[in-house]
Amino acid sequence: MTGTLRTGLDLALGEVLAAVDDHAPGADDGAVFPVQALDAMRSTGLLGLCVPAEHGGGGGTLADLVDVTVELARHDMSVAMIFAMHCQQVLTVVRHAEEPLRDRLLGELAPGRHYLASVTTERGKGGHLLSSESETSIAADRLVIDRDAPIVTGGLHADGFLITVLTPEAISPAQVSLVYADRADLQIAELGGWQPLGMRATQSVPMRLTGSVPAGQVIGAAGGFHDIVARTFGPLAHLGWSAAWLGTATGALSRVLQYLRSDSGRKQYDVSSELLLTRIARVRSRLETVNALLQQAIRCWEEYPDLSGAPAQLLINTLKIQAAEQCFAAADELMELAGLRLGYLRDSPLQLERVFRDLRSASLNYGNDRLYLVNGALALRDRQVHFA
Amino acid sequence: MDSDFPAVLRPFLKYAGTHEINADTSLREMGLDSMRAIELLFAIEDTYAVAMPDEFLTDMTFETAGNLWGIIASLQSGSERP
Repeated sequence: MTGTLRTGLDLALGEVLAAVDDHAPGADDGAVFPVQALDAMRSTGLLGLCVPAEHGGGGGTLADLVDVTVELARHDMSVAMIFAMHCQQVLTVVRHAEEPLRDRLLGELAPGRHYLASVTTERGKGGHLLSSESETSIAADRLVIDRDAPIVTGGLHADGFLITVLTPEAISPAQVSLVYADRADLQIAELGGWQPLGMRATQSVPMRLTGSVPAGQVIGAAGGFHDIVARTFGPLAHLGWSAAWLGTATGALSRVLQYLRSDSGRKQYDVSSELLLTRIARVRSRLETVNALLQQAIRCWEEYPDLSGAPAQLLINTLKIQAAEQCFAAADELMELAGLRLGYLRDSPLQLERVFRDLRSASLNYGNDRLYLVNGALALRDRQVHFA
Repeated sequence: MDSDFPAVLRPFLKYAGTHEINADTSLREMGLDSMRAIELLFAIEDTYAVAMPDEFLTDMTFETAGNLWGIIASLQSGSERP
């Protein structure tokens, strides 16, 4: 990214962060979508960051996506997750959609007005990405969709959706396609509410989407979603989420350090206390570990076009597992350090209470337990232990 | 493809049902995931008395029944070099 574009990005980010700071506590309280932050991400064009420059977009790299996600998350994890997952959809279009769909979608996405959500969850299969029970059919050259999804982040506000469904001719639940749908082509029913512990402003409500889309709006090969997951969708989910979690914990540590260095902080805490220094050091080393893994995963993405080998998959899965565990542990330790009043109370200026609740979701978001099992099987494939 | 090979594969293919398994059968579409792939690997090594080098343990090897059989056959004949 050039210097001029970088300056433009910083200005856009500043405007978005102002909206985030104004509205994040209210969105968290009400478990409602941060519409003001989304409006700012649209009006500044930030949502177009990952669209290639030749299509009129921001031309941002994966490193840019990670940097912006970390910055957003320092202020609010929900907004960072929303942004990172939108970029995951955009890059999926960039890398896997075929013409003429690709050209049309990237033209719409480039100015940043168009917000994409994904519909990959299904009742009965949890977060298992690679199977589906959602049958489709073809009628008048259109793909007919009737899709029930228990968790759709931003579904009430998205302009378009990437949806996983069975291919019309599927003989097994593993023949899953990814399909693009304009909001105008769908009837959307909200099937329930959203009252979670944390990441409340993602407002990830259950929905039913029915309608039909032109049959040519399948992204990648029919039944080929597994390939998209291996090369793009899976790695970007783990990278984007990890950036959001790292940014959330980083913002929390920064607020605690600024307080400790302030006049009131120095009156309240003994900053030469060995216990305090040790706790700060432990939190910092957790974040250093996650950042090192994140940077290594970015290098791996840039250097290996094929991420399906065991060492690359192990690295990216390990990033997700460690980011989830270490960032939550950092939030827990910061709360212990800050104490009941500054750490535990909702109206504390350190905002550790929201951070703690938000980061508790990290190990559950594509569950760490399942990912450990996958990594165990992958590790058995690599007896010599190669690192990506 | 050895005529017994489908019977070796079938316990690891949760969606295979009564579908015929031939060289073009997509193992992934029949339900082979990374966890089951390792269990299948052990079954193959026991059944055919071969040792599969790590270099062959890729998604491509496990893509179709034919791909996987090709590797086994070459290991049995000693023609494959890791």
